[in-house]
Amino acid sequence: MSQTTGHASDNYFSLDDILTTQEKLPCKVEMPIYRLGYLDQSSDDSTLQPGTKLEMPFWLARSLCSRRRHIVSVEMPRAYRESYRQIFKADPNVVDLHKLGPYFYGFGSYLLNFQHSEAADIGNSLVKTFQGRFRKIMDSSQNALNQDTSKLTEKLDESEKKIFVAGQLGLHDFQRWETRQTEKLMTSAMVQKHRKRKRAVLEETS
Amino acid sequence: MDPSEVEFLAEKESISIVPNFTLDQIYLISGDLGPFSPGLPTTVPLWMACSLKQRQKCRIVPPDWMDVEKLSEKKQEELESKFFTQMPSNHYLEVSQLLLQCATDDIPKADEVKTLIKDIWDLRMAKLRSSVEVFVKSDATHAKLNHLTLMEINTVRPFLTAALDHMHALRSNLTSGSRLSQD
Repeated sequence: MSQTTGHASDNYFSLDDILTTQEKLPCKVEMPIYRLGYLDQSSDDSTLQPGTKLEMPFWLARSLCSRRRHIVSVEMPRAYRESYRQIFKADPNVVDLHKLGPYFYGFGSYLLNFQHSEAADIGNSLVKTFQGRFRKIMDSSQNALNQDTSKLTEKLDESEKKIFVAGQLGLHDFQRWETRQTEKLMTSAMVQKHRKRKRAVLEETS
Repeated sequence: MDPSEVEFLAEKESISIVPNFTLDQIYLISGDLGPFSPGLPTTVPLWMACSLKQRQKCRIVPPDWMDVEKLSEKKQEELESKFFTQMPSNHYLEVSQLLLQCATDDIPKADEVKTLIKDIWDLRMAKLRSSVEVFVKSDATHAKLNHLTLMEINTVRPFLTAALDHMHALRSNLTSGSRLSQD
């Protein structure tokens, strides 16, 4: 388990990682949790009874469900279950990963930490899904020049979007060079913005 | 790396010029150049050739390969070969870009040359893209590509490294997951 904590602390300050661990997953309470009944909106009981099902963010579930403590048991979210894995297998390109969780891959990787019986399958499915979607991401990122890319990226998961942006960066740099725009000296964006801000302040004070 | 940095490296390539002025040998860090005398061809780095050309002090002799016939052959070869073929220059795109910009009048059929170079570039990029795809789909850990030029590598670098990082992250949690379930 030290590996997983090491992995998490690598990203301690990463906003993406914080958002990833915020994702909710369905849990079942295994032993009574006193005075936390308000977490379950549907009951008036002040104690969470064993057997109650509720959704918890990953960071909470991780500490409540481990080998030492088994206060809740975790179920796999819908998007990582067998039926969805079949869909990914059939054609990974049509799936809207953004809808299934903007941090599909990252969250999936975290789920492998719960010694779930399907963990190996989920891990394999993540790799295969990315491999299947790779070509489409590559082609769209390397060919979309001067056009709205939101249509292309709307079905991508956050980490895929980063890869897409990297591809666009390579393409744009090359295009700028090819059209000889790199030769021109340009005002740095920072300076431009800085002046604008200054002007706004000046106008306000005068 | 920025494409302009790649271009900077390409400017070190030497090229033959015919000067129209007289100057003794000059001594530079990269080596001695000249002497220059009108009508006698001499070899200088590309950056110097471009600069002299812009001041109309010389005529540039285009490299052997910058020729419609040779380039069409090359294109055909590239089209038929499954792998990347050896390019006449490691900086073919940059050199032709620079020469076509500053010395169009010294290159016979400059427009055709330009199209051919662009065609070869597109062919090679398409090839590169499909080999990258094959590489990512196969579970290989490394691949070897011969005869790629710096500019070609440079355009896919940001994308490829990001994608491979992601792949590695997904794969490594696969192996650590199985190790966890074993113990």
